[in-house]
Amino acid sequence: MRVRVVLSGRNYAAAQSLPSELDLPEGCSLDEALRVVSGMLPPGQGLPDSCLLAVSGTHLGSVRKHRTCGLKEGDELVLIAPVAGG
Amino acid sequence: MAPHGLSPEELTRYARQIGPGVLSSEGQVRLKRSTALVSRTGGMGGPAAMALVMAGVGRVIIAHGGTLISPDLNRQTLGSELILGRARAPHFAEALRAMNRFVTVEAVDHEPTDEEASQLAAEADIVLSCAPTFEERLRLNAAACQAGVPLVDAAQWGMTGTLVVVEPGLTACLRCLYPEKPPFEEMFPVVGAISSAIGALAALEAIKILSGTGNSLAGRLWMIDGYNCRSSMITLQRDPDCSCCGALARGPS
Repeated sequence: MRVRVVLSGRNYAAAQSLPSELDLPEGCSLDEALRVVSGMLPPGQGLPDSCLLAVSGTHLGSVRKHRTCGLKEGDELVLIAPVAGG
Repeated sequence: MAPHGLSPEELTRYARQIGPGVLSSEGQVRLKRSTALVSRTGGMGGPAAMALVMAGVGRVIIAHGGTLISPDLNRQTLGSELILGRARAPHFAEALRAMNRFVTVEAVDHEPTDEEASQLAAEADIVLSCAPTFEERLRLNAAACQAGVPLVDAAQWGMTGTLVVVEPGLTACLRCLYPEKPPFEEMFPVVGAISSAIGALAALEAIKILSGTGNSLAGRLWMIDGYNCRSSMITLQRDPDCSCCGALARGPS
């Protein structure tokens, strides 16, 4: 199944090499998808624990602590590394 | 003075924003009677404060410490080369006052402490968090929650930004999202255009809430990625055990 991936926030530039869609096994869980995404990021540019997670518009928590769920075809996985700037 | 509380001069000033699709006369009067706190007033807060003043929010309190330095001028629209090396707050306030004689602008020349933030939020009808550190943003969040007033939180990085609107007791607050303070990078990268964009949108949310117009962003995070020309809207979940808003009156999350 194909799942869209949006990675934004701090160090978004490092994520430009990521594809906009991932091919994942049917029934893939959120945690499995996170492992796939983390493995594709450059060394030292991993997802921070405080990175916000959302699936198809629903906030699930952070990388460190989140509700788990199964992903389905067409879902959008959004990862927002917290930013602050004034 | 017209029965609805706007002078002929004010009606002329706000003529472009009163009518179908924008504000009602009653909404404009609500703005006039409102107080907004904006801290800080740099890259995002400056444009936010400008938009609030131009729209006629009756009282705008700005808070920003320190002196203006050259790197500020890639984004701090209230600054100019004429005030490099000078204290930001009084000059920013002067610039804002010159935009609209019908509003009151007050300046705090430092970042508010916990106590000061609570006091200022208690005087305000809305708080705009446009600060560069998570410490300050969470402080303003706590103050808004304590005062029971909406918080509009703006953040930026590079060519991206986020906006969150908190309705204390009803929606997730910033502490729900960040139970632990994330790391902060002082020399964050930013292009001024995204600062102005995010700041202006923060002001638009405040204007809608204060005037009772449109549909607010309450309970959602809006991620705007100017680098890739895309945006995402996320419905936020309250943390029932949140150390900041967990004890506030329950409502739909």
